[in-house]
Amino acid sequence: MNKKKLRFVIGGLVIAAAITYMVFASARSTMVYYVTVDELLAKNTSFHGEGVRVAGKVVPTSITKGPQPTEVNFKVKDKEGTQILPVYYKGILPDMFKDEADVIVEGHYNSDGVFHAKTLMTACPSKYVPEDKQQHVSTEQLKSY
Amino acid sequence: MTRYVLIMADIGYVVLLIAFGLCIYVPVVAVIGARTRRTPLILSAEKAVNAVFGLLTLAAACLIYSIVTNDFQVKYVAEHSNLHMPLFYKITAWWGGQEGSLLFWVWILSAFSALVVAQNKHKNRELMPYVCSVLMSTALFFLVLLVFAADPFAKLPPSRVPPDGAGLNPLLQNPYMVIHPPNLYLGYVGFTVPFAFAIAALITGRLDSTWIKSTRRWTLFPWYFLGVGILLGGHWAYLELGWGGYWAWDPVENASLMPWLTGTAFLHSVMIQEKKDMLKVWNVSLIILTFVLSIFGTFLTRSGVVSSVHAFAQSTLGYYFLVFLALVIAFSFFLIVKRWDLLKSKNELDSFLSRESIFLLNNLVFLGLAFTVLWGTLFPIISEAVKGTRVTVGPPFFNQVNVPIGLLLLLLTGIGPLIPWRKASWQHLKRSFTYPILGALVGGTVLFFLGVRHAKALLAFTIALFVAGTILFEYTRGTLARREMTGEGYLKAFFTLISKNRRRYGGYIIHLGIVLIFVGVAGSSAFQVEREIALKPGESAIIGDYTIKYQGTSFKSDPNKTVASANLAVYRRGEKLSGLVPEKHRYLQGDQMVTTEVAIYSTMKEDLYTVLGAVEDDNTAVFKFVINPMVLWIWIGGFLFMTLGTFVITLPTLEELRERERARQLEFVTEKKVLSRA
Repeated sequence: MNKKKLRFVIGGLVIAAAITYMVFASARSTMVYYVTVDELLAKNTSFHGEGVRVAGKVVPTSITKGPQPTEVNFKVKDKEGTQILPVYYKGILPDMFKDEADVIVEGHYNSDGVFHAKTLMTACPSKYVPEDKQQHVSTEQLKSY
Repeated sequence: MTRYVLIMADIGYVVLLIAFGLCIYVPVVAVIGARTRRTPLILSAEKAVNAVFGLLTLAAACLIYSIVTNDFQVKYVAEHSNLHMPLFYKITAWWGGQEGSLLFWVWILSAFSALVVAQNKHKNRELMPYVCSVLMSTALFFLVLLVFAADPFAKLPPSRVPPDGAGLNPLLQNPYMVIHPPNLYLGYVGFTVPFAFAIAALITGRLDSTWIKSTRRWTLFPWYFLGVGILLGGHWAYLELGWGGYWAWDPVENASLMPWLTGTAFLHSVMIQEKKDMLKVWNVSLIILTFVLSIFGTFLTRSGVVSSVHAFAQSTLGYYFLVFLALVIAFSFFLIVKRWDLLKSKNELDSFLSRESIFLLNNLVFLGLAFTVLWGTLFPIISEAVKGTRVTVGPPFFNQVNVPIGLLLLLLTGIGPLIPWRKASWQHLKRSFTYPILGALVGGTVLFFLGVRHAKALLAFTIALFVAGTILFEYTRGTLARREMTGEGYLKAFFTLISKNRRRYGGYIIHLGIVLIFVGVAGSSAFQVEREIALKPGESAIIGDYTIKYQGTSFKSDPNKTVASANLAVYRRGEKLSGLVPEKHRYLQGDQMVTTEVAIYSTMKEDLYTVLGAVEDDNTAVFKFVINPMVLWIWIGGFLFMTLGTFVITLPTLEELRERERARQLEFVTEKKVLSRA
């Protein structure tokens, strides 16, 4: 490989390395654990203060609109229905938010035992939603970062 | 014993089986014909390609017929249609569900294959057997899915046939959602053609730029349609999902973006091969990668691999796709290694300061973006495989990495066109770049003093000004040069300039569109203002310059749904601008889906975006108001400029049309002579 080609290859590698570094560094600093309700409750100490994303189902009749107009408290349960996690969220509610809805909340698990959600997303429980649209169409992201 | 009544769906399934058989026939016969040099075999294979198109059209007709006639014993019809659905949505339910959309995909592929056969009757004869084989092998994969794993014509047992179907998801009964998949598929499927030509070129060893020149349009059109499809998805999300944004870095969104990024890189790097006969390995690999990502995108959208917690492929389809992808990658890799000698170029790059160099950099940047998106999208699966816990990354990750890389890309968009091929002298650079750079710096300073302090946005606007400056410079310089040469009037010189260099000046129009998109994205990301508030009828909220008065909510119902409409009046500085009516639709059937209808007051400066939340019994309503600056620029830049630019590039000139007519006449005369002699 002559000198000129070498310079191009090195230049390319430098850029590739820079981009790769950015990717890994950013992933490390912005990554969020994605767990189920029972996993969160089991490992609760290690998640205190860290951002975490939890998936679960809304417990029927647990939705209570808080004192402020946009506040809401509700409970999420895991697949078996045994573990319950109380959640607090302030913001406009997604369309499909109701009893038994599959939800994904992202936020912090506070020491008071309540999960403070920054974002609340719902997935459509319907089996009629075509598979190729299910994830895209029915999850709604509200509060931005 | 019950009599078996033959219905259209049964015919459809049989037709799929025949097409399946033909898709095995074509590669076998075409390859044998090519290797033994027996033209009749090759011609038979090409005829079979046309037959596959005919058969799949018939199969599609059977499916649509079943839907339109409300034949609910067909499972697909029961799941995606109902008696009350408007005819238009019944027809488009063809691609509304998994099985139907796979049939739609392979139907488009068969149509494109037939078109390729027609276009290449008298050229690329050495490549065509292999092109047909690759196209039909891909079709075979989809037919395997349709016949064995996702049968659109599957029937329900008589006891389970419902009186009425479930109907299409209300969110899909929307014009945007109707045209969004077709555009994407035209893109994904379209990229199969240059891929097929690349494989054919590798197999036959004909690795000059013939295969590239033959597939110029077949690369640009899919690129365009995929881009429009992606924009439509974002536009739809903005209008329908009600969260105030247009892009969430969602796995499904990312899946469509990746092939578009590598496809754009490919569009640029082939120019280097055409000009300097270099980068052959690179180009061949890039189109293979684009095709792989297109299939991967098709797969990711429907397998549920990434989105759910702790769930692998939710349907077995995922495994089929992975096997197909593995085969494609392995086979392509083998071919590249086998043809390595023919792929190596004798030429080399002259200098860092050359257009080739900038294009290479552009390619690296695009691949960097694609890699970032891929990594972020697959991160949950990788982390689970490696560490055991699932971890995700969201918009913060994508924005942190992609914004700086994107800005670099924008900068290159301005530099590239102005740097000459081979080697640029400092004189030349000074002449070309001085005005655009000065203009950008002046503009940036002005913006700063006007109050724009957000660093990244200011940088984006400044670079955008630079790029716009270079494009303006190029158009001006070109028009003036023509005028000097021919003495034409300004307007005539302008249009003739474009028509004689359509690729270049059409490309600049597309670049201008990209600039507008960057500006719109920067504006709406950096300066978004949001307010959530509960209002009683009569109360007002203030956001930005606007005062919004809530006048109450009215309710309406029809057999399909109930609609809550909130009446808002928007004022600015005391003057009434408009009424806005954000709505909530609650569908009565099925799962009682609720959809949001956003109401937007759009100007070039900003969008006032209003969303209705919950309405209490006393008509107190919760609203989300968002000011999204410059969102209109994104749609104008994307839809208008990209379309205009692509149109300009592909429009044939009068001269070319005359040339084609002459060639066709010659063909006709020659064939007549041959026939009369026989």
